Order: sequence, then structure tokens, then C-alpha cells
Amino acid sequence: MLVFTRRRRQTIRIGDGIEVQVLRIGRDGVRLGVVAPPDVPVHRQEVYEQIREANRTAAGAVQDPTLVARRLGAGRE
Amino acid sequence: MSHAPNTAIAADAVAPTDNQSTAPEVITFPKGIPGFEACRSFVLIAPETESLVQCLRSVDGPAASFLVIDPRKAMAGYRCELSNADRDRLQASTDAPLLWLALVTVEESGTIVVNLRAPVVINPQRMIGAQVIPHQCLYPLRHVLVPAD
Repeated sequence: MLVFTRRRRQTIRIGDGIEVQVLRIGRDGVRLGVVAPPDVPVHRQEVYEQIREANRTAAGAVQDPTLVARRLGAGRE
Repeated sequence: MSHAPNTAIAADAVAPTDNQSTAPEVITFPKGIPGFEACRSFVLIAPETESLVQCLRSVDGPAASFLVIDPRKAMAGYRCELSNADRDRLQASTDAPLLWLALVTVEESGTIVVNLRAPVVINPQRMIGAQVIPHQCLYPLRHVLVPAD
């Protein structure tokens, strides 16, 4: 892993189109600004982790579409 | 017409195991889906036509199966914009009809929840799918559809 020391308003450049700038340094966190081309998805790592976890739970659960459809229908009446 | 075009594949239309790779019913997920990155091919199975809940099942890699529902049937007024990058991933033109699916989970308590935050989007013309995380529409990751009994 590359490690940099950056101060407020300083930037790291990645490749041709990605810039990560330190906007604010607080006691609890660092606020970053990311500039990236539209085809580069930028997400907080936790979002990916949450979705991965939700997918694993979904795949591990009961898989009976007819039963689920019936309960959904019943819930709407 | 207010409901989605019926692009579901009937259960009896699913290809037999010996020619899955060439069957048009197989939907390719070039990057798998998060947590199941090794699953690149799925089929969509409906227990009956016009079924509210369908099953998205992997046909390669580790066995994986998900219950899915049209997100607009899970939440009235659900509306999501696909980013250009995601549209490119699906090889979909701007006006291409897309099939949106939200993953349903029956939790151990019996509560039925749906993931509206990260829908699965399929381009039926190319049979390419992906789970997307749209920036502009922050729907809940765990939206309760039916509370526990």
C-alpha cells in the first residue's frame, strides 16, 4: 500500500482522471473530495460490504416464491 | 399500461443442464453479484406466468438462488435512474427496456424484506445483468414488505 501524508486542500492523483482531495480534517474524520470519470464507480467501502452481506442473507433464506407471493398478497388486502 | 412488460421466463422454458451455455435464457452477469462474484450465469424462473415473485438462480459457480420482485410492486412510485456507466455495463441504449428486480429475503423471524438500495438490472435484449448501486436514488437496503406473523 502506498502511504502519503497530505494536508488540507492537498490532492492525490490516480491515473489520468481520478483526484482525491483532503477537504477538511476533523477530530472524528477526514472529509475527502473525489473527482473520477463517470465510468468509475465511487462508493464507501461499507456500502459494498452491506450489499454483499444482504445478498448472502438473501441467498441463505427460504426460497419459496409461491409462499412469499401469497404472504405479500395477503398483506395488501 | 402501468405495469412492467412481462419479460419473465417461464419455468418450463429454462434450458436443460446440458446446453445452458448456449441457451438464450441464460443471463450473463459479467461481474457476478457482490458476495457471489464467481456466479456469472443466472436464469430467471417464475413459478407461473405473471408471478409476483420470481427466482434468480445461478447456473455456474457456487449454487446461489434469490427471490426477486419488481421494485415498483414493492414500493409505489419507485423510480431509479441508471448511470451511464451502468448502462454501458449492460450494453443498453438510452431507450432500451430494462428489467428491474429487487432481492427479497425471508428473514428467520418471518419478516419479508426487500433490498431497494441495490437492484438487479437486466437488459433483456442482450441478456446481460448487474446489481447496481445508483447514487441518485437512496432507497432502503432493508425495506420491510411483510412483518413477522
